[in-house]
Amino acid sequence: MATTIPLFASFKYADSLTVVGISFCTALVCEAISWILIYRTSSYKSLKYSIDKATKKLETMKTENPSSKLSIKKSKTKKIDRVETSLKESSRDLSLFKFKSGAVVALVLFVVFGLLNSLFEGKVVAKLPFHPITIVKKMSHRGLKGDDPTDCSMAFLYLLCSISIRTNLQKFLGFSPPRGAAGAGGLFPMPDPKTN
Amino acid sequence: MKESKSAKLNQLQQQENHQNAHLSPSKLAKLFDPDASWDKDQLGDVLHWIRQVVGLISGLLWGSIPLVGGIWIILFLAISSGIVYGYYAMILKVDEEDFGGHAALLQEGLFASLTLFLLAWILVYSLAHF
Repeated sequence: MATTIPLFASFKYADSLTVVGISFCTALVCEAISWILIYRTSSYKSLKYSIDKATKKLETMKTENPSSKLSIKKSKTKKIDRVETSLKESSRDLSLFKFKSGAVVALVLFVVFGLLNSLFEGKVVAKLPFHPITIVKKMSHRGLKGDDPTDCSMAFLYLLCSISIRTNLQKFLGFSPPRGAAGAGGLFPMPDPKTN
Repeated sequence: MKESKSAKLNQLQQQENHQNAHLSPSKLAKLFDPDASWDKDQLGDVLHWIRQVVGLISGLLWGSIPLVGGIWIILFLAISSGIVYGYYAMILKVDEEDFGGHAALLQEGLFASLTLFLLAWILVYSLAHF
């Protein structure tokens, strides 16, 4: 105990490590919440499986050699439409699942942000190695006095942590959404007129 | 036709079975094998982690030297994109159209990598040079 305090005190911006540590713990808590609410449930697992299956099936059907016969082509188009429709439905269901835990996770993040804000309000927790552009400066200089633009507030550091740590943690644990679901959203931005 | 289809099914089954397996020598070899076939998710994951590693190393390096100025952010983005492109286009030799095009492959893990890079850079710079 006595040995660690001087070590930390020697760093002028040791607070930044505190912010990162708290952010990391928060990320773990958020993923635990997501696991409890979503990922362990059988309905999510079957949903994910159906999305993966539909995505692979779609890719297979689209990459197969185009048939010269018109009748076969028509039936294939119908099959593709059917798979696409089921993929969209599964993706929508997945979004609902995500929304449920998203609310809880957002609450946790908000509470932690409030805590850090009360601890480090007006305090410079790090030094930026670059001059932030105006839009970034509003975040990085939030709540700080003085006019040095390279001063970094807790808010900016917390934002960087939230994005980088949570994203990679999800990836590492295998919690990121199936690519088919993400791709489906981008692939069909407009409602399919054939479905209506 | 049927042979390749059944082979593909076997491959998919094996893939699911070993989804959480640790890296084996054969899997490591696949990372540099131009002839290996890649699933979209697999390649996406590999490119994602390459971006993260490059981001972390660059951040630690930039912060240690230290390099100061916004230009180094641009340089980092160019370097990491170049590495990712070099990997999938020259080492793996995949056809990018099969995976959604260059844009999709190059943006895999880009934003997370940028934030990780900035985080590492700022932390090392702040702790080591003040």
